[in-house]
Amino acid sequence: MLISHHLRRPARLGRLTGTALACTALLATGCTVYGGSNGTGTGEFPNRPVEFTVPTEPGGSSDLVTRALARSTEEHLDGTTIVVNKPGANGKVAGNSVFRSEPDGHRVAVMPQSLFSIGPLVVDDPEPIELSDMTFIKGLTIEDYVLVVPAGSPHRDLDDLLGQDRLNYGTAGAGTGGQLAQALLFGFTDVPAADIPFDGGGPTMTAVLGGQVDVAALHPAEVMPQIEAGGLRPIIVFSDERLDALPDTPTAVESGYDVVVDQRRFLAAPAGLPDKLVDRLGAAADKATVDNEYETILENNYIRQWNAESAEVESQLSESRQRYATLSRELGVDLGGQS
Amino acid sequence: MDFLTPVLEGFGVALQPMNLLFCLIGVTLGMFVGVLPGLGPAASIAILLPITYNFDETAAIIMLAGIFYGALYGGTITAVLLRLPGEASSAVTALDGYAMARDGRAGTALGIAAISSFIGGTVAIIALTFIAPVVAGFALDFGPPEFTALALLGILMVATLGSGSAVKSVVAAALGLLLASIGQDPLIGTGRLNFGSDQLFDGIPFVIVAMGLFGVGEILYNMESVRNARAKIPDVGRVYPSRADLRQSRGAMSRGSVVGFVLGVLPGGGAVMSSMVSYAVEKRVSRKPRLFGKGAIQGVAGPETASNAAASSSMIPLLSLGIPANASMAVIFGALLLQGITPGPLLVEDRPDLFWGVVNSMYLGNILLVLMCLPLIGLFVRIVRIPVGVLAPVALIITLVGVYTVRMSVFDMFLMIALGVAGYLMKKTGFEPAPLVLAFILGGILESAFRRSMRTFDGQLTGFLGEPIAATLLAATVGLIVFTILKALRAKRAKHQPTNETTPV
Amino acid sequence: MSAPETRDNKDDDVPVIEVSARYARRQNVVAALVVLLIGGVAAALSARLGVGNLAEPGPGLWPLAVSVVIIAFAAVLLLQSRQQGDEQRFTRESLIVVVAVGSLIGYALLFERIGFEVPTIALLLLWIRGLGRQPWLTSITVSVGSCAVIYVLFISALGVQLPHIVAF
Repeated sequence: MLISHHLRRPARLGRLTGTALACTALLATGCTVYGGSNGTGTGEFPNRPVEFTVPTEPGGSSDLVTRALARSTEEHLDGTTIVVNKPGANGKVAGNSVFRSEPDGHRVAVMPQSLFSIGPLVVDDPEPIELSDMTFIKGLTIEDYVLVVPAGSPHRDLDDLLGQDRLNYGTAGAGTGGQLAQALLFGFTDVPAADIPFDGGGPTMTAVLGGQVDVAALHPAEVMPQIEAGGLRPIIVFSDERLDALPDTPTAVESGYDVVVDQRRFLAAPAGLPDKLVDRLGAAADKATVDNEYETILENNYIRQWNAESAEVESQLSESRQRYATLSRELGVDLGGQS
Repeated sequence: MDFLTPVLEGFGVALQPMNLLFCLIGVTLGMFVGVLPGLGPAASIAILLPITYNFDETAAIIMLAGIFYGALYGGTITAVLLRLPGEASSAVTALDGYAMARDGRAGTALGIAAISSFIGGTVAIIALTFIAPVVAGFALDFGPPEFTALALLGILMVATLGSGSAVKSVVAAALGLLLASIGQDPLIGTGRLNFGSDQLFDGIPFVIVAMGLFGVGEILYNMESVRNARAKIPDVGRVYPSRADLRQSRGAMSRGSVVGFVLGVLPGGGAVMSSMVSYAVEKRVSRKPRLFGKGAIQGVAGPETASNAAASSSMIPLLSLGIPANASMAVIFGALLLQGITPGPLLVEDRPDLFWGVVNSMYLGNILLVLMCLPLIGLFVRIVRIPVGVLAPVALIITLVGVYTVRMSVFDMFLMIALGVAGYLMKKTGFEPAPLVLAFILGGILESAFRRSMRTFDGQLTGFLGEPIAATLLAATVGLIVFTILKALRAKRAKHQPTNETTPV
Repeated sequence: MSAPETRDNKDDDVPVIEVSARYARRQNVVAALVVLLIGGVAAALSARLGVGNLAEPGPGLWPLAVSVVIIAFAAVLLLQSRQQGDEQRFTRESLIVVVAVGSLIGYALLFERIGFEVPTIALLLLWIRGLGRQPWLTSITVSVGSCAVIYVLFISALGVQLPHIVAF
């Protein structure tokens, strides 16, 4: 080919592109693609690494939990596992990617309950992930919420707090359990309260410590170090029973407000996963969740084990969704969504 | 001087030969991974995290801190050589660093960047050791109203950063703000301007915007004139910064240290802004502001000092609040959790050896980085000698693959290609991408901080005047606007001709 | 349109393409109109999202405010469309960019379908040989070499799951 300084015939380049693409397509026909977000494979399970998808950025508690789970599952599955982070849309991006793939057991996701139980109350989504899109494998974790005020706050207990003319409450974002729990609590009592959503737990902590907001509901893992150091004071917890870590803090129910909110995570695969594989993965995950490393991470993060079988996960999800929707409707709490 | 004891013991820990070795390995690994476009410090640490599982806790953390610094510098290397910034702070370095590289001063730029990082890190660590308790409270005073005022000031600076047409700069900055508003509403959670796409629901990641507009746009632009390859290879020139270079950068470095230290203390956005603010300060202070964007050494020295000073002083919120100040710190402290340690405000008291071991190893990481980089710079600058026809495609492929790995999504590849086309068109029509990219970073901070403030103030704009820090910053903003307008009017009166000079590239 | 005047300056490493004042003006007007269109569409979309009030700002308030700024400054640009000096002419060489972008889109389309290896080598060959006019030997070596380096780096060393067809 001649080397010219000016391109006289761009058509030649177009043809070259066409040929290149054609060759590419030709070459690749009949090959198996591994990895990526829609890989396939042949043969007995597991014939390639089992992919655990995390719907968050690396580094958070659910990432750590999934990594520990994937590592210990490996031993009980006679195969390798890998962890893929696919953050986005409160878990929907990860869900869409995993639940639209082949139900061959090679792709599973650790999904949050909030996407199904709180999400619909907050955002109108024309194409939500339905429970029927998933095969539930096993319940994994329960994370609770603690209502905290800064140590310097004049409010000693819940009655103090609810007696205010106006409250600003911090949440870790729209669609989080902390937002729902506080909206319901203040909805019960008709306290004029404005929710100030922050971008995750860390910034919310900063805001409540600095007195930018009067009160916030956060996970124990986020607030316990500050409670121990005397920077924050717990008011109530939103679990059904008192927490081991905070035996002196009453639950919302004890205080007379029927608000029980928690965040749960579960392992799920695309709908239509054969029972044999559900059992196989479930059994491996069962063994993995009693692994020492996994338990240590849970303990250090004040996360409780959620030992639920497939059917129980499904009923929990639909029950909590129903309960939250009914409560917010009855209390007239508007979180922004339609349902 | 009792409080110094744990600090010195921390140095003792960090200086143990094994730990030093881990730090060195970390810096090296971090630098090589950080060079890959799309893999910023946080992602590099996350990817390399499993390596540390079997180490003891201190060694693991020291290595991760090394990776952090190495990856930071790795991003600077690609920003300077290829205009591919991996994260926000190197986006600013890309402006003048790349111009210097095109000018045959790649070595100078990389050398100054390494030295500046070292200076910034050193100043911040000394300040951290002595005045951390004093400034810790400052971080808590910075709530939504203060951030609103700070971001507003920042955007104003950004809009005036460009070296071309002022109107075009403002348009570009406004487009950056619009781009930042794509995706989930930061408060309510509704999807906005995402055209129903789940992929856009969380907005466009910064890496894609920066690499698309800067990197891919630049590559496309270069491809157009690739046939003039003969003239395209810049000389390598001096490999190391000269004495004069250092003298010129001295002021920028000292100002950058202060800016970086102060802003780094503010959790959530402070560190991101530090390099931008430093750049704006340098351009205003400079007697030759026209040189900025065309290879002003202060434009590299200031921001690099500031971003490293901020990286160190962002340890302060961690020290006082137990809150990781940025994504990288979050991953490092995630690693602490894996080791069975719960990071929190009591960490400094309970485990001073660990805390100061980490802080000091960051410092040592900085020293190792300088010692390691200076000899390697000679190697790095050779990259610019590779013909554009070969270098551009290879850089592009690695960028595409790197962007894919951020969220494992082909959609992001398309997004970056589209932004690359936009970057190319902007370049052809005289719009600078820099104000757009920088406004994109500030846009999210400004909107959410403003809206949080308004909810706190119950919709009363006057609420800002009740917050002393916010009110002061707003006054400074107004002052800056008035000053700029007056200056423009005076310039107009002085000259009746158009003053814009022709600026190819 | 007149032929581009290309002045290849020996000292300057970039050929400066001189642009006539009329061409620059026309380009600025088109650019301003495009920006105006973006601002208009964004404003319409934002308004539909709900603007709310200052105490309870709707999701559309901020994008709407930004759109208004965009429209305002696009209008200023439209009025001050005279040559600024940083406009550059689109030439026939610009077609290379069209081909380049087309090939990138093809690359992204094929990436997950058939693995990264074949598209990577094909794209590099096209760019290095076809667009960059490098010798065949260089082109092939660099293409295959880069592909191998990416494989080793991402898949083998870092454990990142790129779609691939070659498995070890």
